[in-house]
Amino acid sequence: MLDVGRHPNIELLAYSEVEKVEGEAGDFRVTVRRKARYVNEDRCTGCGACREKCPTVVPDAFNEGLGNRRAIYSLFAQGIPSTHTIDADHCRQLNGKKCGICAKTCQAEAIDFDQKDRLLELNVAAIIIAAGYDVFDPSQIPEYRYREIPNVVTAIEFERLLSASGPTGGHLDRPSDRAIEAEIEELEKTATKSQKVLSKLEEEYGESSAAFYEKYQSGAYPDDEDRKKWADKYADHLAVVKPLEALKKKAEGFDVAKRLAFIQCVGSRDFRFYPFCSGYCCMHSIKEAIIAHEHGPETTSTIFGMDIRAVGKGFEEYKIRGGNHSNITYVRGRVAEIVEGPDNNPVVIYEDTRERKVKRQEFDMVILATACAPSKGIAALAKTVGVELDKYSFLKTSPLSPVDTTSPGIFVCGCAESPMDVPESVAQASSAAERAAEIAFQMDLEKEKAVA
Amino acid sequence: MTKDILVIGGGIAGMQSSLDLADMGLKVHLVEKLPSIGGKMAQLDKTFPTNDCAI
Repeated sequence: MLDVGRHPNIELLAYSEVEKVEGEAGDFRVTVRRKARYVNEDRCTGCGACREKCPTVVPDAFNEGLGNRRAIYSLFAQGIPSTHTIDADHCRQLNGKKCGICAKTCQAEAIDFDQKDRLLELNVAAIIIAAGYDVFDPSQIPEYRYREIPNVVTAIEFERLLSASGPTGGHLDRPSDRAIEAEIEELEKTATKSQKVLSKLEEEYGESSAAFYEKYQSGAYPDDEDRKKWADKYADHLAVVKPLEALKKKAEGFDVAKRLAFIQCVGSRDFRFYPFCSGYCCMHSIKEAIIAHEHGPETTSTIFGMDIRAVGKGFEEYKIRGGNHSNITYVRGRVAEIVEGPDNNPVVIYEDTRERKVKRQEFDMVILATACAPSKGIAALAKTVGVELDKYSFLKTSPLSPVDTTSPGIFVCGCAESPMDVPESVAQASSAAERAAEIAFQMDLEKEKAVA
Repeated sequence: MTKDILVIGGGIAGMQSSLDLADMGLKVHLVEKLPSIGGKMAQLDKTFPTNDCAI
């Protein structure tokens, strides 16, 4: 990423979208909308002082909503460019409220609430589409109860939980436990506030709230308005403290997730959604199980799959190594249902096809290996650029020219073409770069016709 | 006549294409809709099969 940001031949147009494409191979005229960041790119140093002071908290999409960010933010810590961006949907100032704290904090005077979108005209010889993919939303599969059972997560959410730069700093804290911890924090804040008020009253009347409340309840102070207020405050305080104590006790038993289940083919190889194999999910489940085991040696993982497709250099060896050294058990079978057991533990109901038995097994967390879905914006982009899509909405290509789209001079690479892993994406990207360079260098345009 | 190339998408594929073209001496315009490049791969902790850091 750093290399891209630094390369003198690369003009990085982040936070921008292609709006219009005209012309033909060798001579495209492209209009790019540079969306307003409300931060001057030339001035922002990426120091993050604005972010620290911003009062508006927003769920962080980079962390799949598992953490929070502010309304002024950088996508992630190592993001290139490091220029911060104001989220116009959530910023107080941009929504007519009084704020502007970031502008006061910024020493570089980079905040510009009046910034507008800018249009940029480009003239290019060739276009490469590397628009990527979207993670399949498993809430479409009712029997897996994603979003209903908090400890059922997607692989990319699990990836953020494993990451040292993620919302848990790499600890496998379960989402249900994190929710309770967040609730404890909120209740503690409320309790501290009400305790302060009570302490003042206790000082004023010279007795403890508990002792007073007992007398009050036995009818010691009829028609005393001030004492009634005190009693009400104390009752409110108790209503917070009692559940708080119960939750704290529960939280004492919390531990990181140690029994993991990975469910393969969630949305892919499924005729209700995508019949194709997404290709990389078997491998990322094995990888996540191996990394989880590295984090905690007592972690055990069970991977439920119709078959484990470890196709690629070193992949099969990786799978076997995971089984031998990382406590991974591979179970052949398709999971029928996930239900919630005691202590927020998901219970997986599946058919073990080797033993021909329906079984139930309880886990701390279930990770769904979600399908590679076509990117949501791809239909609009394809229309703008003028290329055709296949029946799933990936870009249409042919087996003998896998990086050529249906329009000459426009190429595709990565998961915009079809599901693929990192090594394949990189190989296809180099291939697309070479095809684009051919056009730029005017190497005979007729050649592609001959191949096709 | 122009020799510039437009790359749409700043994930691992778009970045690789851009770097290859830029190293060939061509001017590349890399358009990314999010505030920073990196794409899905930047969200990953490690990559298989070598467990190398993804960032």
